[in-house]
Amino acid sequence: MNNWIGLYTFIRREIERFLRVGVQTLLSPWINALLYIFIFGFVVGSRIAEIDGISYIQFVMPGLLMLNLITSSFSQTSFSLFYQRFAKHIEELLVSPLSYAEIVCGFVVGGIARGVAVSIGVYAIAILFGAARVEHIGIFALYSFGVAVVFSLIGLVVGLWSENFEQVSIFTTFVIMPFTFLGGVFNSVNMLPRTMQTVVRLNPFFYFVDGLRYSMVGLHEAPLAIGVSLMAVLTVVFGVLVWYLFKIGWKIKS
Amino acid sequence: MNAIEIEHFSKSYKGSVAVDDISFAVPQGEFFGFLGPNGAGKTTTINCLTGITGPTSGVLKLFGHDVVDDYRAARAQVGLSAQEFNVDFWAPVGRLLWYVAGFYGIPEKKRSARIDELLTIFDLKSHAKKPFRTLSGGLKRRVMIARAMIHNPPLLILDEPTAGVDIELRHDLWKYLRRINEEGKTILLTSHYLEEVELLCNHIAIIFGGTIIAIGDKSEFIQGGHTLEQKYLQLTKNQHE
Repeated sequence: MNNWIGLYTFIRREIERFLRVGVQTLLSPWINALLYIFIFGFVVGSRIAEIDGISYIQFVMPGLLMLNLITSSFSQTSFSLFYQRFAKHIEELLVSPLSYAEIVCGFVVGGIARGVAVSIGVYAIAILFGAARVEHIGIFALYSFGVAVVFSLIGLVVGLWSENFEQVSIFTTFVIMPFTFLGGVFNSVNMLPRTMQTVVRLNPFFYFVDGLRYSMVGLHEAPLAIGVSLMAVLTVVFGVLVWYLFKIGWKIKS
Repeated sequence: MNAIEIEHFSKSYKGSVAVDDISFAVPQGEFFGFLGPNGAGKTTTINCLTGITGPTSGVLKLFGHDVVDDYRAARAQVGLSAQEFNVDFWAPVGRLLWYVAGFYGIPEKKRSARIDELLTIFDLKSHAKKPFRTLSGGLKRRVMIARAMIHNPPLLILDEPTAGVDIELRHDLWKYLRRINEEGKTILLTSHYLEEVELLCNHIAIIFGGTIIAIGDKSEFIQGGHTLEQKYLQLTKNQHE
């Protein structure tokens, strides 16, 4: 990578693009998070006993933060890339002297930026409900950054693969939402029957939620090394895959 | 030095041959007309030269830089005004130019001056803050050419730049293109307005069915009192037969 001005400009364009539609990209997830925290954390949570010495709202908060981080970083890259393919202004990037690695990097940083922006808002809402807490800031940053990178890259694969807007949203509806919800956002894995516990432990999203929960409230139900290794492996696998797909021009160069 | 070198270039789409083993060169400083009916392979050739798509086989070079192996250096040499409006329709015109200038590595300090210069040249100053989608067809076309010129490339490729443009603007554009060609810029022009090509270009190639059927100096096409249009129709009619 040596076109730093080009890369920086591309990142700015990606950030300005989601800020241009801030109601959809920022306000909407913040309102959703507010409702989740209020209903599940505050109303329902007040009737649920503490989990391992932690109030229910504090237990739920990391999962909600993770859900928003995943959906926003994924949506940023998948919709941005698909829209650019759809409107053909991906050609603006293809004719420019940006390398394929720089293009991938620009999209991913855009995804991280939106994930962080949404997460900051969700965290601010959590402060209002007394649910904001970070015990291990380094691990919190590692998990937030790592998961945003992974789902930004997956978003690019989906943005390349999709043929219409419906296909772009399929992944959120059928993969992100169910896997995150079943990954221990609202409950401890120990609350589940033994067979279900095994199934949950096969779900990679469980390790992301669990790791972030440890960083925020100091409670975890699986070895952190699994979550960190998963993030590293998925980053390398999807990073190389996306770079290769751009290089061969899969679905962007007819 | 040749601005464009194409050797044994072919391009197929899912088994259908769009361009079939063509070779030609465009010397630096040339105003080159690239003609052919719809679907003949003009835009496919341009897309392969600029990186929008890749060649199936053959070698394409811009100022000696291979468009595949040395793509960054090759792309820095060329500005493309594409036939379709391949632009973010929601972005304001000034911002759109600002982004593209950045992609080409122009520092922010120099960017504003360059954008201002182009907005003035193409009479777009009063439209700088308007989203691209709100502009008329002629204004959109001007933005496309301004965008192609943003990094002041030595080679300009204009794929039907005057389609849908009113006659006044077309004349202004001709004047401008002539001037920058005289200043040393190489221009490859495709157009269905053959009087435009006859007026501006020194060399002409005609592509038909993916192969070059005629190439040479403009004088060779218009000798014997023919207009370029008459010669073009004669050549393409022979191919149909």
